[in-house]
Amino acid sequence: MHPTVSRRDFLLKTGISAAAANFMLSLPSLGWASASGDRKQRLVFIFSPNGVIPDHFWPEKTGTEFDLKRILAPLSDFQSQMMTLHGVCNRIKGDGDGHMRGIGCLLTGIELFPGDVQGGSDTPAGWSMGISVDQHLKNKLQSNPNTQTRFGSLEFGVMVPDRADTWTRMSYAGPNQPVAPIDNPYQMFDKLYGQTKNRMMLASVLDDLTEDFHKVEQMISVEDRRMLHDHVSMVREIEKELQAEMELQSRKGDVGHAIPKLAPNVEEQNDNIPQITRMQMDLMVNSFAADFARIASFQITNSVGSPKMKWLGIDEGHHQLSHEPDTNEPAYEKLIKINTWYCEQVAYLAKRLAETPEPGGDGSMLDNTTLVWTNELGKGNSHTRDNIPFVLVGGGLGFKMGQALDFKKVPHNRLLLSFCEAMGHPEKSFGNPDFCSDGPLTGLV
Amino acid sequence: MSFNPSVHFKSFLILISVVAAPQIATADVSVHEERLAKGAAIYRAKCASCHGEKGEGGTKQYSEPLAGDASRTELVQLISDTMPEEDPGTCVGEDAEAVAAFVFEHFYSAAAQIRNRPPRVGLARLTGPQLRQSLADLYSHFRGTPQVTEKRGVKAIYFDGPSWKNEKKKIERVDPVIQFDFGHNSPGDGIDPKAFYIYWEGGVLANVTGRYEIIVRSTCSFVMDFGKIGRELINNHVQSGDKTEFRRTVTLTTGRVYPFKIDFIQRERKTEKPPASISLSWIPPGGTEQLIPKRNLISDVATPTFSLELELPPDDRSYGFERGVAINRQWDESTTAASIEFAQAASDELWPEYRKKHKQDSNENRGQLRAFLTEIVEIAFRAPLDEELKQRYIDHQVDTADDDAEAIQRSLLVSLKSPRFLYPLADQNQSLSTRQLNRLTLTLFDSLPTDDWLIKKIRKNELEQVDTIRSMAREFVKDFRTRAKLHDMLLEWLNVKRFDEIIKDENLFAGFDRLIVCDLRDSFEVFLNTVVESETSDYRQLFLADWTFTTDRLAKFYGDSWQPLEKELPKTEPIATEPIEVEPVSTAPTATAPTATAPTATAPVTTEPPKAKSVEKKPLETANTSLPELRRSVSDSQLRFGVLSHPYLMSGLSYHDATSPIHRGVFLIRYILGRTLRPPNEAFTPLSPDLHPDLTTRERVSLQTSPDHCQVCHTKINGLGFALENFDAVGKFRDQERTKTLDSTGKYVDRNGAEFSFSGPRELADYIVSSEDAHRAFVTRAFQHFVKQPAAAFGTGTLDELTDKFRKNNFNINELIVEIAVIAATRDPSLSK
Repeated sequence: MHPTVSRRDFLLKTGISAAAANFMLSLPSLGWASASGDRKQRLVFIFSPNGVIPDHFWPEKTGTEFDLKRILAPLSDFQSQMMTLHGVCNRIKGDGDGHMRGIGCLLTGIELFPGDVQGGSDTPAGWSMGISVDQHLKNKLQSNPNTQTRFGSLEFGVMVPDRADTWTRMSYAGPNQPVAPIDNPYQMFDKLYGQTKNRMMLASVLDDLTEDFHKVEQMISVEDRRMLHDHVSMVREIEKELQAEMELQSRKGDVGHAIPKLAPNVEEQNDNIPQITRMQMDLMVNSFAADFARIASFQITNSVGSPKMKWLGIDEGHHQLSHEPDTNEPAYEKLIKINTWYCEQVAYLAKRLAETPEPGGDGSMLDNTTLVWTNELGKGNSHTRDNIPFVLVGGGLGFKMGQALDFKKVPHNRLLLSFCEAMGHPEKSFGNPDFCSDGPLTGLV
Repeated sequence: MSFNPSVHFKSFLILISVVAAPQIATADVSVHEERLAKGAAIYRAKCASCHGEKGEGGTKQYSEPLAGDASRTELVQLISDTMPEEDPGTCVGEDAEAVAAFVFEHFYSAAAQIRNRPPRVGLARLTGPQLRQSLADLYSHFRGTPQVTEKRGVKAIYFDGPSWKNEKKKIERVDPVIQFDFGHNSPGDGIDPKAFYIYWEGGVLANVTGRYEIIVRSTCSFVMDFGKIGRELINNHVQSGDKTEFRRTVTLTTGRVYPFKIDFIQRERKTEKPPASISLSWIPPGGTEQLIPKRNLISDVATPTFSLELELPPDDRSYGFERGVAINRQWDESTTAASIEFAQAASDELWPEYRKKHKQDSNENRGQLRAFLTEIVEIAFRAPLDEELKQRYIDHQVDTADDDAEAIQRSLLVSLKSPRFLYPLADQNQSLSTRQLNRLTLTLFDSLPTDDWLIKKIRKNELEQVDTIRSMAREFVKDFRTRAKLHDMLLEWLNVKRFDEIIKDENLFAGFDRLIVCDLRDSFEVFLNTVVESETSDYRQLFLADWTFTTDRLAKFYGDSWQPLEKELPKTEPIATEPIEVEPVSTAPTATAPTATAPTATAPVTTEPPKAKSVEKKPLETANTSLPELRRSVSDSQLRFGVLSHPYLMSGLSYHDATSPIHRGVFLIRYILGRTLRPPNEAFTPLSPDLHPDLTTRERVSLQTSPDHCQVCHTKINGLGFALENFDAVGKFRDQERTKTLDSTGKYVDRNGAEFSFSGPRELADYIVSSEDAHRAFVTRAFQHFVKQPAAAFGTGTLDELTDKFRKNNFNINELIVEIAVIAATRDPSLSK
């Protein structure tokens, strides 16, 4: 019997860099054994804007005995299932202002094209030059029958402004191909359940219809009634079939086919952000339970987003507040509250997933899902893209959770590589190769 | 009963001296009856086993019913030559005459068919196109259908600086098409090339229903809305890298105008700026990419338009025209999908607007939503809703769904699948005004009455008089929707919709490529529209016009007679210059609306020097001067005879390497002269020209069709087709084939048995415009296409009456359509029930 050797030990002994290992030796990712095999793996990118207040965000102590500051406190129930990654920096330069590159390069790891959209500073820019990691992984999963799902990926949004520009798009299907998130829960519902819902609706209105045929018959000459009879008997047949179909479905009653019920008439407006967020998250949990997709993004507003969190007693927009100096105490406090609210949303989603048993698998859905909560900036008033907030929750990637890490300024491309590797599709580089030479991050497992 | 013919004969001899005339008739009748009896006996003995007792066919030997339009004399000839099939030549002379008489009178002739099965106005559901048009109008009810206008082009406002600032407005004009390459230059006086903004707004008129690819090529930021201002089609707000081509596919409905706007912005930037350029093109169904031509651009403000994206199953065409008679699953599913698609547009677009407009109304118990749905459903049902219907179609659905969008979906799903919407003529309980208007709009628009002013008229019962209906029909016939339906009818009549892709032998016809074919198709269709939409709307011009529409490409390929009337395109053409807010400019006559007799060239580039108060501006030079826009050609009375000489038709009715007198003959006899032909006995491969290098096409065809059983039909077909031999396989005029002089003489025996002969296309064209068969064929086709019911159902003399009026009205096509619509609207026998 062989003693178990960790990936790290193996690499140390053989003297091969982590990045080179996969390619030179064509090894399956050691230590990622749990990632391969039959279990489903899901990955969700959650975006909130304008940076954080680092002193109230990052744990002071690293390692497994880390502390949760105010902003991350809502995740306390998940401390053993979470990981914070300090010191991961978005190093991408080139065209575009900080916010544009902050969101446009966040998941793509590559520069923006030259373009004509001018931000507050720097040069104007266009769309990203490359695919984003969520779409890249979606393509990989969809190309394999074992991991293929109905949609592959789902792009959720909450109050994303109705304009397509570099600040409103995080996900890219390829160079110059931004993917618009769906921020209307009813629209998302239609995408997920539209066909089934329409059939149910049809089943329930046909009865009204057939009754009226008899009345209409009176308005038609006797010679012509045969056509109407043909018509109504066909409608009856369809009605019967639909009823049988609906009965069968309700008897099966499994979660995968259950259609969630949405609250009616919720309009897309600032004050409904909490409700829309919940609706969208519930839809995401449902769609995962039905295995409609294994990759998702969840974009709350946009880079430079400025929701007014009146439900927290805050009347100013988030972006405006984020520019205030740290010495502005009321603003500072509000920013902590705002970011805490975002964290609560992440915690809500984690909780929903944790409560839902994995359909056809072991444990909860959270055990097979990793939420990656991130941001376009490290800190709002400095526009730094150093120390980009990366908080991971859940076991989808098979990382060693329950620790706070500090990478001391590594390019974030390496983290993107880690995502690829953990999802079973290791890459030599992702985005700008200049930032990939050291391979995926180490110490995650 | 038996009788003795000799007795009758004797009585005839005795009585003739007393009172002559009536007795002759009696005697004729008896002779005739005798012949019929003899014919019946022979038929039963020799014919019925294949043709059926009543000529109904359906047997193994002969499946088709014995019905057609050959004259009695032709039948005699046919029987003598070819019948009975196993032993031709045994039924000749008086026997053949007797059988022909029996067959003709009992079931073969048109009169016998009507007698045996009196046509009636049958119940029909909406056809696919009718469903599409009805939904489009249902949507338009809230904002109105666009007014007909001859204004073409796109309204443009040019600003200095990258945004809309009234004080920075520098140019307002109508651009004929959108194709500009400004480079690094200013798009006009007073505009800094560093940063500018151009706003284009107009409408796109669809000529045919189908999938269109819209293509914008732009090096700058732009956003395009389409179908409704606010309904975004392309968002290139961010100009990024070298992404300059944007394609979207949309389904458009014929006769509809789709509003659009483009915000085109060159932004100032610190980095290097690309040169500014933009173009707006499309690929219409079955076509190739072209700039959206001026004739399809409407420079008036257009109202929002709904276009069903769904593809609908084809309708029954077993009678030669579309009828909504097939009731099956596929159709049912399409009505479900169409309802859902419409409901989506209603809840996304109509409902928010309605709510805004009615925010003062009480909303107790979701009253606004109920009122909104009631308004749509009353239009869809072409009738006000009583309490029971309101309960079923509105209240029950609203009460079942808390969510407004879901309530709208439910209510519209059940309403748009209701027989009250799907069967437009099931309206016996409605007022005469309502029913006549329903029929009028169904006939002319393929749709239902939706405009408020119309609804008001029927509520007041003001549409009972035939004259009122006629004057409305005269208004409606100018509508884009009617024009589109008429255009479609002409294409059906000329059978060009069933053309395969036209491809010719590259060695024989070098240069005849896909672009030429597309130009030809455009030229052909614009020619038809121009004739029809002219003041005289003269049917005869379709065969006599000595002009057509041409492009530079066509002139190069077809030679002198295809030169444009005006050689040089004017680089700029000042047009009326009022600011747009006041009144849209009137443009020079366009390709779509010159008169038939003296059409004027399209005004190809009409940049407008605006008189914006104090600023003096010069007309712009644009890249548009090389547009392949269609222009009117020179006249050529020797070589051009309307559609007959048009290469689109002539090449479509040819093989890839040679003409096909048979295709051309069949086209003329079936479509232009409206005669019936039965299909050939078996499929034939045409004799190859290579095997008979010495023969002309005419000789080859004559050789192959010489057997008697071929001649039954080919004696009619060939004589017509040969008259067009002057047009080769790509429609070029010729006098010779190889080295032989062409023989383009031909003949035709009409429905009444009269024979006409002609030499060449000129005489053929002259014959057609005077031919009663041709007039009747055109009227019949128009009636069927517009009404989708047999004309005889509206009275046995209907076709004669219409054909007479057509002649008396100088063959005015628009007037014919008006008269057809009046009959359809007011003479449906069920109206009197």
